[in-house]
Amino acid sequence: MGGLSGNATALRVTVAILILLAFVPLLHSGYDENLGRSVLMFATLSFGWNILGGYTGYVSFGNVVFFGIGTYTSAALWQHWHQQSIPLAIGCAVVVAVAFAIVLGIPILRLRGHYFAIATLGIALATEEIVANIDWLGAGSGQAVRPLEAFSSYYFAMWAVCAASMLVTYLITRSKLGYAFVAIRENEEAAAVLGVDATRYKVIAWAISAAMAAAAGAVFAGANGFIDPPTAFATDDNVFPIVMALLGGVGTVAGPLIGALILTAINETLWSHFPQIHTLFFGAVIVLVVLFLPRGLLWLMNTRGGWRGVVAAFGAYRL
Amino acid sequence: MELFAQDLVNGILAGGIFAVVALGFSLVWGIMNIINLAHGAYIMMGAYTSYVLFSTWHLDPFLSLPLAFGLLYFFGYGVQRFVINYVVRAPLLTPFLLTFGLSLLIVNVALFIFHGDTKGITTQYSGSNISIGTVTIAWTKLWTLVVALIITTGMQAFLTASRTGRAIRAMALDIDAAQLAGVRVSHLYAVVYGLGAGLAGAAGVLISLSYSLQPSMGDPFVITAFVCCVLGGLGTVQGALVGGLLYGVLEAFGSQYVGTGLQDAVALVVLLLVLIIRPRGILGKATA
Repeated sequence: MGGLSGNATALRVTVAILILLAFVPLLHSGYDENLGRSVLMFATLSFGWNILGGYTGYVSFGNVVFFGIGTYTSAALWQHWHQQSIPLAIGCAVVVAVAFAIVLGIPILRLRGHYFAIATLGIALATEEIVANIDWLGAGSGQAVRPLEAFSSYYFAMWAVCAASMLVTYLITRSKLGYAFVAIRENEEAAAVLGVDATRYKVIAWAISAAMAAAAGAVFAGANGFIDPPTAFATDDNVFPIVMALLGGVGTVAGPLIGALILTAINETLWSHFPQIHTLFFGAVIVLVVLFLPRGLLWLMNTRGGWRGVVAAFGAYRL
Repeated sequence: MELFAQDLVNGILAGGIFAVVALGFSLVWGIMNIINLAHGAYIMMGAYTSYVLFSTWHLDPFLSLPLAFGLLYFFGYGVQRFVINYVVRAPLLTPFLLTFGLSLLIVNVALFIFHGDTKGITTQYSGSNISIGTVTIAWTKLWTLVVALIITTGMQAFLTASRTGRAIRAMALDIDAAQLAGVRVSHLYAVVYGLGAGLAGAAGVLISLSYSLQPSMGDPFVITAFVCCVLGGLGTVQGALVGGLLYGVLEAFGSQYVGTGLQDAVALVVLLLVLIIRPRGILGKATA
């Protein structure tokens, strides 16, 4: 192992944690189950962001748009056709989101760097505004989604989506696809000269990214029971996954889940102890992560030279 | 036709504010390649400075503008010198998230101090208008546009004529060569960021005259600033001015002819079209 998959030990530990997470609803229902589902949801969103942002190096700041599309697909299935099936919701959400990603991706993925980041942010904001004006989707007041009787199904569905996202990420890093993505990240022109069809691979990466976020959204809608534009396109769901990937390690298989676990734990603790100013602390957490761990926890594990290497790593991006 | 003229005038008047909003953002982005997501937080700080000075000492907002500029300049200088400079060479995601975190931090400190309720500034001249034909112009907005034009002209003069301004432009062209020629890069980076924050503060004061105040008021202006930069072209004073005025007119027509709930969507669709068709902006050079 190793190579594009990242640190092998970290990967084994993460798989073990993921397996343990599957048993949460059997031991604790209620609060712990909701918390666990939230970890799995953020991990899935972070896996999704990491495919494009971590491997191809295209930093998206609007991936929440696919999460939103997923939630609304699920909500529309209940509102208009009275369908509650989770697999159906996930399937439809993925199809809609992938179609959206391909249509938008072909023009948008020509942009690079900051322009791509802001264009994606613009898409997320514009989509939210447009959805808030569509009566068929409940416009600004939102839509109710009736949850299933067996509520833990949503937990297991989210677990399955998360596990599938991690597996897909792992398989990509072990395939030609992963090398094509990384080649684009390292030097897009050189990759193109070597015969990598950059546009095609970027669109593929974005579509995979979109599918993961949409699947998470489809499950979230049922579990949440209600969807309106601010819930479906929440800033938290947009930014947390990026910070999680950064904390764990951008462009690693294990990073997103590790980041999601740690940050959800921090966020939940702050929320229960300092409900008034917890966003303030969260801002501070982001600043500290970016300043002291700009390459993530997993990267530190690979640092050579013991503590000196770690200290040297902190100043690597100084002016 | 009357409606058209009124919309055009309203758009240009609002565009003056947008130009100042975009100017600081454009400098920071164009010279240091940092997308400053905390720009909106500095706008909010400027607006609250004006509010505090007005409610405590009845200081006219136009007079508190230089104070807000100075205060935010030193704040921004410190932020760049002691925080952002440490990660400024990292891939673009890092500074991007850092400024986002800073913005969360500042906005929530403001929320803690001033609470979430909306505040406003009502001066003696707040309600007065002048009419030219069928078009009505609020005095406040007219003066705001005049001050905005003074600020942009002053900034242009500073960048072209002063020693520091020339050093900044040299640094934007080639940072290594500038450093070899004796430019103190870490100091100048802080100066540029300070100017960006100061201009955001000045924009905040102008905004406080016509919009209501609350701690997250600045956030939408980050997108506005970005759209203006892309429309006008990056890193130049003229680009920010043209982009700001154009965006103002666009938004005024968007809310009139497409729908009030959708003017942001209209602006963003235009942004995407410009990015795809002419990514260097209207006044931008070919090798941006």
